[in-house]
Amino acid sequence: MVEETPAPITVTTIEAGVRLSLRTADSEGAGKALGHPLPTKIGTITEAGQRLALALGPDEWMLTAPAGDGWEGLADRSPIKEPHSLVGVGDRELVIVVEGDGAADALSAGCPRDVEAMAVGCGARTVFDGVGIVLLKRAAHRFEIHVWRSYAPHVLHLLAVVQEELEAGL
Amino acid sequence: MASALLAHDIHLVGRSFKYHRPRGIVTAGSEEPNALIGIRRGDGREEPNTRATLQEVYEGLETVSQNRWPSLRFDVGAVNDRLARLIPAGFYYKTFMWPRSFWRTVYEPLIRRAAGLGTAPTAPDPDRYAARYHHTDVLVVGAGPAGLAAALAAARSGATVTLCEETAELGGSLLLSPQLKIDGKEPAAFLAETNATLAQSGVKTLCRTTAIGYDHQNMVNLVERVSDHLASPPNGAPRERLWRVRAKHVVLAQGALERPLLFDGNDRPGVMLAGAALTYLHRYGVAVGRRPCVVTCHDSAYRTAFDLHDAGMTVGALVDGRGAISPSLMKGAAERGIRVIPGARPLATGGRLRVRALTVESDMGRETLPCDTLLMSGGWTPSVHLFSHTKGALTFQDGAFLPKTTGEACEVAGASRGLWGVGTALDDGDRAGVAAASAVGLTVSPHAYSLHGEREETGHSGQPIGQGRKVFTDFQNDVTQKDIRLAVREGMRSVEHVKRYTTNGMATDQGKLSNINALQVAADALGMSPPEVGLTTFRPPYTPTTFGTIANYRRGAGFEVTRKTPIDAWAEEEGAVFEPVSLWRRARYFPRAGETMAAALSRECRTTRRAVGIFDASTLGKIEVVGPDAAEFLNRLYTNPLLKLAPGRCRYCLLLGEDGFIRDDGIVARLGEDRFHVTTTTGGASHVLSKMEDYLQTEWPDLKVWLTSTTEEYVAIALNGPDARRTLKPLVEGLDLSPQSFPHMSVASCQVAGVPARLFRVSFTGEVGFEINVPARSGLKVWHALLQAGAPYGITPYGTEAMHLMRAEKGYIIVGQDTDGTMTPEDMGLAWAIGRKKADFVGLRGLMRPDLVKEGRRQFVGLLTEDPGTVLEEGAQVVADPLKPLPLPMIGHVTSAYFSDAVGRSIALAVIENGCSRLGETIYLPMADAFHAATIVAPAFYDPAGERLNG
Repeated sequence: MVEETPAPITVTTIEAGVRLSLRTADSEGAGKALGHPLPTKIGTITEAGQRLALALGPDEWMLTAPAGDGWEGLADRSPIKEPHSLVGVGDRELVIVVEGDGAADALSAGCPRDVEAMAVGCGARTVFDGVGIVLLKRAAHRFEIHVWRSYAPHVLHLLAVVQEELEAGL
Repeated sequence: MASALLAHDIHLVGRSFKYHRPRGIVTAGSEEPNALIGIRRGDGREEPNTRATLQEVYEGLETVSQNRWPSLRFDVGAVNDRLARLIPAGFYYKTFMWPRSFWRTVYEPLIRRAAGLGTAPTAPDPDRYAARYHHTDVLVVGAGPAGLAAALAAARSGATVTLCEETAELGGSLLLSPQLKIDGKEPAAFLAETNATLAQSGVKTLCRTTAIGYDHQNMVNLVERVSDHLASPPNGAPRERLWRVRAKHVVLAQGALERPLLFDGNDRPGVMLAGAALTYLHRYGVAVGRRPCVVTCHDSAYRTAFDLHDAGMTVGALVDGRGAISPSLMKGAAERGIRVIPGARPLATGGRLRVRALTVESDMGRETLPCDTLLMSGGWTPSVHLFSHTKGALTFQDGAFLPKTTGEACEVAGASRGLWGVGTALDDGDRAGVAAASAVGLTVSPHAYSLHGEREETGHSGQPIGQGRKVFTDFQNDVTQKDIRLAVREGMRSVEHVKRYTTNGMATDQGKLSNINALQVAADALGMSPPEVGLTTFRPPYTPTTFGTIANYRRGAGFEVTRKTPIDAWAEEEGAVFEPVSLWRRARYFPRAGETMAAALSRECRTTRRAVGIFDASTLGKIEVVGPDAAEFLNRLYTNPLLKLAPGRCRYCLLLGEDGFIRDDGIVARLGEDRFHVTTTTGGASHVLSKMEDYLQTEWPDLKVWLTSTTEEYVAIALNGPDARRTLKPLVEGLDLSPQSFPHMSVASCQVAGVPARLFRVSFTGEVGFEINVPARSGLKVWHALLQAGAPYGITPYGTEAMHLMRAEKGYIIVGQDTDGTMTPEDMGLAWAIGRKKADFVGLRGLMRPDLVKEGRRQFVGLLTEDPGTVLEEGAQVVADPLKPLPLPMIGHVTSAYFSDAVGRSIALAVIENGCSRLGETIYLPMADAFHAATIVAPAFYDPAGERLNG
């Protein structure tokens, strides 16, 4: 009988739902207009329901929500009054979910950040094997890699190689 | 592997590089210069020059000796040894200079074959190599007593600790000192307990792992040999893994390397380092010989002599170069009946493939001592390699270079900073661990180790330099003390020059054994002190490193990113031929069964010009520029006037550098008052975005405008041809496509095939053209809908080759092909794109530079060859008169050349001095076959009036 051990990582690719890039100097006003307070510390997120805002820079946020959410198409009818930029980029990225005991190890094959030390519920713009990504730590052993669509195969290829390496156990 | 050979009484393991002298195992570590063997693991797994002292033995391991012909015991190349007088240091600089042509064809190949080390495998390496980034509070390099004590102390403080050790087990010299009691425990028990403590404290311990380089800000690279020691590694396991460790603090505890003694015949098989013999005895249970003699100028060799004696070997004599020897050592020798010859000089060794005797001279006269192994110790060299990688300063003290200061956050502990003795190393390691912990903001109290049974030794040595012809300083590169002296005689003063002239220290062991000895010889010859002569630079990697590890995941499919558009899979199914364009792969043409490239190209262009063609333009860079100051920002950046561009309108725009030269071009489309959609060239996308960000952040931070890359948000489909509108119209909702309401250079939002789209009326072919931008995940759906809608007109997909040809027929430039970074808008016939009334834009001042406005600049023109069938070579040079004497002045070059079906002949684009005022003139192009004549024409071959565009 074959002993069943849990796979060290599972890798799943999902199409992003709604994704917006928000740039503004007035985070408070923008948060009010959106009905979703924006995080001000870079790397932190605010979540309400399935809506999420991640502060990527001093004036930059990544907003995500599931497909069909009220935020869909918001770039064309932005509720924000102060000077800002709201651009829909829902089709630009794919989301690669890396989950399992070996998730941090697998990410450290290509990401120079200390992903182990990242706090759960934090995100960062970083690189994976030279490819620019946004990395979100959703749980101790669950990460999301947000990556531009055409770079996703490269990321997935390396993750598959590392997955075999982790399964070999050496 | 080395221990297994020695256990079978095999010392002879190789032939030397130059003289093909028989050589034996010298060391027990990674510094081994001689015992290089070939390893075969099956399935094409082959490695030359593996150090037998590192390779672990397993069932089925296959090894071969190398650098010998026909056999190890009888090597034809050994004739070089007899001819040594004729091939001194630097011989290849002198002897083989004549005749000159012989160097490449005769001398170099011969020297390479004769002097090679092993044979490089020819098959691709089937092994996997891995890499990891790793973060730790404290990294400890070396797991001898100092490293272990440092790791234990740092771990006690609660710091995260990583410990790496080059060999397969922790312990270092503790493994060689079974008589010790550490905190009341025997070394084995102490190590077992230490292992358990380290594991419980979460210390990451990496054995078989060599720290190869110390980079900036405590980035230390480690190479872990993951599976070379396993008979059958599990599937998917890597062979080696590169660890890029970012440590807050580093403790270097690499210990010291024993130096050979310099005496005639010190390279004979059977002559080895005393410390290595001790290692083989205690770690592997191997007696390196039955009747060893020991020759030394350092206390540590006494321990070897005593332990070998106690293990049952007959130590012939202890030959000590020093006159005064400590009474305790003399007593130990006396107890065992080992004869000590103080103040003795070794003169020569006897034997051929194995040392048989040692001749020494002392106050008692000259005598020859029989032996089957000769164990030498010239003292110990602290291993300061990694410390030196940090640009750390060294100081010369007691005959050794020791670490002084460094800018990195690092401690050096134990023998690697010249300390001697296990107890000292434990205490110093503990100190370093406490210091490292405190450096990362943690506190821990020091631990006082109690140590019993340590031998009375000092770390001092006095290295005499032997005379003779075969006193080797560098074993692997066959450098002798005479070579060093010759180099000095020939004018080399700096150790760097001596090194390069003699190749001392340039072998795979990088001078680990030889540098200090060679330095002492050079200093002696120059009558200077060693620090005055200098020390050669230590460079990473510390030990030879496989290319596999350096490349790690960057191979095969993972070698480099290949970006593909959402249409790519469809194109592949259609049998498209692809070409790389920056990181993208793009469909170059779509050959039908049996079609050549020329035929496919001709068909794709013909169909597009006569009916309709469809093209995947998704790779074009797209940037969304949004904010109340968006128009102002773009107006400052691009040459064109953009303030008054109306929403719904597009403009072809040029982007210059500050120097006035064309950097990129594209379409700027105004979607609304404060929103623009800007396209860039495929290859320029990221540069343009960076350039925009750069200006925005450094020059105009006051502008309220933001940039977002939308390249991959959209699939961009170009639909071109007289039937383009008819094809598109039935799929469009919410927009009147008629030329009156949606003329050339318009943009609008609408629905295409039920998908929200940004629709552009632009053309890069000169035909009626639309560019349909739809969200990426709907791209293929819209593509199929357009194919279906265009089917009645015979729609064809076309690739980049047809796109290039059709734009050349129109004289539209491609930045980077027709321009080369030195062309102005004026040069390219694009002066109309400059807003003449604009007060400023990037490059305006550059355009005023005298060189950019003077006569005689190369200008963009068309060329028609005399023979309409001749397609010129892109890059071909242009001359005015081929009959003039050589060298002919070049007055321009061809930038694009094609055979055009639409024009019915070959066409070319070129840049020629004063080209615009030379229309109608004949110029000449020297090509491989002949001079070709061509007429300069305006760069518009097809529909020069542009009537088709507006249809």
